[in-house]
Parts: sequence; structure tokens; C-alpha cells
Amino acid sequence: MVTFLIRRFFQMGLVLLLSTIVVYLILSFVPGGPLDNLLQNTDPRTRPSQADIQRQMKAMGLDKPWYLQYVTWLAGDTWLDTIGLEEYAGTRKGIIRGDWGESYKLERNRPVLEVIGRRLPDTLRLMITATVVSLVFAIPLGIYSAVKQYSKLDYLLTSFSFLGVSLPSFWFGLMLIAATLAFQRNGLFYFPPGDVLAIRSYTVPGLGVVEAKSVTDRILHLVLPVTVLSVINLAGYSRFMRSSMLEVLKQDYVRTARAKGLRERVVVLKHAMRNALIPLITIFVGTIPNIFGGALITETIFNYKGLGFLYIQSLGQRDWPIVTAFLLINAILIVIANLIADILYTVADPRIRLD
Amino acid sequence: MAVTTQQFEGTDILEQKIESPFVAVLRRFARHRLAVASTVVLGIIVLMAVAAPLITAYDPNYNVPRDKNLPPSWEHIMGTDYVGRDVFARLLYAGRISLGIAFITVFFSDALGVVIGVISGYFGGWLDALIMRTVDFMLTLPLLPILLVLITIFSPSIKLLVIVLVLTGWVSSARLIRGQILSVREREYVEASRALAASDPRIMFRHLLPNTIAPIIVNVTLGLSGIIITEAALSYLGFGVQPPDASWGNMLQAVDQTVLNRYAWQAFFPGFAIFLTSLCFNFIGDGLRDALDPRMKL
Repeated sequence: MVTFLIRRFFQMGLVLLLSTIVVYLILSFVPGGPLDNLLQNTDPRTRPSQADIQRQMKAMGLDKPWYLQYVTWLAGDTWLDTIGLEEYAGTRKGIIRGDWGESYKLERNRPVLEVIGRRLPDTLRLMITATVVSLVFAIPLGIYSAVKQYSKLDYLLTSFSFLGVSLPSFWFGLMLIAATLAFQRNGLFYFPPGDVLAIRSYTVPGLGVVEAKSVTDRILHLVLPVTVLSVINLAGYSRFMRSSMLEVLKQDYVRTARAKGLRERVVVLKHAMRNALIPLITIFVGTIPNIFGGALITETIFNYKGLGFLYIQSLGQRDWPIVTAFLLINAILIVIANLIADILYTVADPRIRLD
Repeated sequence: MAVTTQQFEGTDILEQKIESPFVAVLRRFARHRLAVASTVVLGIIVLMAVAAPLITAYDPNYNVPRDKNLPPSWEHIMGTDYVGRDVFARLLYAGRISLGIAFITVFFSDALGVVIGVISGYFGGWLDALIMRTVDFMLTLPLLPILLVLITIFSPSIKLLVIVLVLTGWVSSARLIRGQILSVREREYVEASRALAASDPRIMFRHLLPNTIAPIIVNVTLGLSGIIITEAALSYLGFGVQPPDASWGNMLQAVDQTVLNRYAWQAFFPGFAIFLTSLCFNFIGDGLRDALDPRMKL
């Protein structure tokens, strides 16, 4: 286990290094360089001063020869004098020491990490709710349709999962908005079709006045995006749970449990289900990066200003530091999630040995 | 009497035609009713897109400001959009672009995936290790954000969309094909052709590849379903097909709350086309999987 962990950490570092190179390369493809957009800004209110531009160039190491640019961006330049490159030493700390640069446009001159941090809670609320809701429905549905294979419900679930994987999430979201708007128009109960919170208090028939920025307001705004995300996830998750459960039900120890005369309930819920849940670790851990990244498309449709929305926005504004930070954090989380999954597997299933 | 019966049976077997594998697959496919229905529906969709000028007299890009936001009627069976273009005509012409992108993308990404997968599986060794590590690494990258940033940098167009989708799409099919090649590489017929001094490319593409064709076909069909949705999503977000060209995804781009509140049909039809097409490819893929190899799991 220890050797495995050491090797795994080593691999992790390598993959992370590769990811930073890929992200840096992507940025270097920007025509005219990453500062191009900043230089072309002619709006008198937001035009960067010469000092701003100098600072950004320093931040990205663009004032240095090419072989030091990536190094500066990654690890800063405070230490360059210790290896005999006094003329290039500066005050940058580099991304590995938390210096991720500042936003160009969306929130001018604010540190990128701060901008991301401010959007994070809303995205976490949305994604965690959606994941919990889909798992709460997917696990029992998957188990039931595996136990009652080829029953009516099993067929229903199979057809549903086909519909689910073919359903474009943005269209589903738009149709939900159209429906809730129709309800609102006709004076019926409805859910707010967009935004994270309302600006002014509003009245929902059957619920009364909803105060802006209250907990009720927040929950009402979450319903539609959570529905879209859950329905799309549910299709995949329940199929996954079903096939995992079918696999386990074929095992010898399940037959043994039945042969011992245990009640079917106990066999299914205690002996089979617990083992069938193990492959779900993959899904569960796989959602960690997604939870951070938010749902690019769903957040856009519902004007839900979380991280996914921020990403699309910063691409539109060519706010490269935010784009970079988003990509990097995503990549780091994916790598960490994979490691967690490997470790969880050994904890959950002693039959898996990792060295 | 018993003897004559046996004789009859004997001639029966001799005269009976041997079913070709192709016919056998077709027969099994025909048993999957949803897959057959999907083939018919998909055929109609493709035909309508190809024959668009024969089906509708309207120009998809001709706007009649006076006729904007009309509800569906006999003149405009799916109504008109916010600048007065016929939605049905746009839908048909958009089908050409969306389906075209899907077919081209899947063709190239699977071709690339097949070649890389076959090479990786057949030669093994350091080449295989290198390719597979690359595949693993590419699978850890966040796909959608990367697609979006690449498209932003090189400014969106149909050509770029296809290139980016191909360059990210070959990965999973390469992995699938490599696995298949590994499982047939050590068979006797490979050894036999090697004994006959067949060259490496001949063994790879004459003997190994045809034996892995079943999962490739299924992978292509399911890939088409995925690409239809991906292209639509990218175009919807403004990162794919650019107006005035219509694609099923970018027809939804102009849809906002006002449109949804008052002219919801403008949003309904293009999305339904995406959904239906993707669903058809999924069912056909499922039917083909059952037909080509009942034991096969993907």
C-alpha cells in the first residue's frame, strides 16, 4: 500500500506537470499573445495604463526569454538569483505558490482566485444538490430493476435511460423554462426561471410572497436547474447501478446467503447491495471535478451565475487568467479524484490489492 | 419408413442455403423493433435534409420582417422566427449542416482511432505504452472546457469545430480497438498468415481489423448520437456553427425568456430534431450490438 501510494503520488505529480504545460501551451496559441486583448482595449473607462500592462507582462513572465517564461509562470522568479540569473529575478511567486494572476476584464485587477472563490458557493450548492438528488433516486431504481430484471419497471427504466442519454440538456432546460413561464402567465404555481436569487420580492400563487434573498427564494431558484441536471445524471447512474447489481447477484456468496435460508430482503439489501455500491465510487468521485466546474450549459441556460457561467463569460471577454485558473483547478481536481477513487476502492473492497 | 425420412432430411440439409453472416445480422437486427423503427425515422430525417429544396419553397435565410414570430399555420407549418424566417425551412437546411458535421466528425475520429488503436495493440511494447499513456492523459483533461477554449482562441467556424472534435474524439475509440486487437492477436489464423510471410500492415488491416468490425460499427453509431448533441450544445453556446448558417443547436441561440414566454414553438422544434436524431442513433446502436454479437458488451 505504501509503495503504491508513493508511486501514485509520483505519477500524480507528473500528470499535473503535464497539465500545466498543456494549459500554458493552449494560452500561447492565443493570436497576438495573451495580452493582445488587453492592448486592444480602447474603452477610455477600462483602458489599461502602461503600468497595468507591465505588471501583467511580468505576471506571465513575458518580459523574459522563452525558456524562462513557463518557469516563471509556474514557479515565480523570486528564486532566480540563487541559480545565477540575477537579472531576471523578480517578485512573482508563480501558480504553485498561489500567485494566479489578476482578472483582465470581468473584475479588473482582482486576484483570480478571489473571483473564483466568490462564485464557488453558489456552484457548490447547485452541484451537490443535483448529485445527491440523482443518487437518491438512481440507487433504489437501479437495485429494483436489477432484482426484478425484465419486469415492467425494468423496461420502463431502460427506455427512460435511452431518452435520458439522447436528451440535450439545454433544450430540456429551455422547455422547463417555457413551461414555468406558461404557469406563471396563467396565475398558477411556478418556479423562478433564472438567476441565483431574486432582486425584488415576488409572489408565487399558493406560497404567498417570497422575500428576495431568503432561503425559500434560493431553494425555489434551485429547483429547475437541479431538475435538469438530475434527470440527465439519473439515466446514466441508474443504468450503472443496475448492471453492477446484476453482476453481484450472480455471485456465489449471494447464492450461499439464499441457501442459508436468509430472507430475500436481507440477501438483497445486506449481501448484494453493499457490494454493488463499490463501483459507484467511480461515479461518486468522478463528480468531484464536476461539482467544482459547475454545469457550463445548465448554468448558462438558467442564468445561474456560478463557476460554469463565469467560465463562459470569461471566454467571451477573453479574460485569460480566469480561463487558465479554471482549467488548471479542474485538471488538479480530476487527478486528485482519481487518486481518492483508487484508495477508496482498497478500503471498500479488501479483494483489490494495489501493489 | 424410418430410412426414407432420414434420406429426406439428408437432402434437406444439402439443398438448404447457408445463411451469409450479413443476412444473419440483418435477421437479428429486424427482431429489435425499436431499432428498425429508428432506422426508418432516421432515414426520413436524412432524406428530408438532403431533399430540403424540394420539400420547402422557403429560403432558410430570407427574412420577412412583417411575418416575424408567426405561430405554426398551413403557410408556415412550424411558424416563423424572430426576424420572420420560416422555421421549418431552417430546420431542414440546419439538418444538412448538423448531420453533415456529425458524419464527417465521426468518420475521421473513428478512422484515426482505428489506425492508432490497431498499431498500438498489434505492435505492443514501448509504442503501445506511449500511446496508451497519452490516451489516459487525454481522458483526464476536462473535455468541454478545453473544447471551448480552443474554439475561442482560433475563432469559431465549422471547419475548426470538426477538427477539434476529431482531435479529441479518437481517444476512446483507439482504446476500444486496441483492446479488441489484443484479444484476437494471438489467434491461429494470425500465426498462419505470419507463416505465409504476410507483411505487418496486411496482418493488421486484412486479418485483425475485420475481426474487430462489430464493436467499431456499434461505437460509430453511438458516437454519432453523442456528436449530434455535442455539436448542438457548442453551437447553442455560440462556439460552433455561426449564424446566418443554421444548425439545430444555433437555432436555439436567439431563444430567450421573451421568446419562451410567447413563441415557445421556436425553441421546441429544433431541440426536438436533436433529441429525435440522437435517440434514433442510440436505438440503432443498441440493435446493432444485439445483432452483431449477442454476447458483446460495450
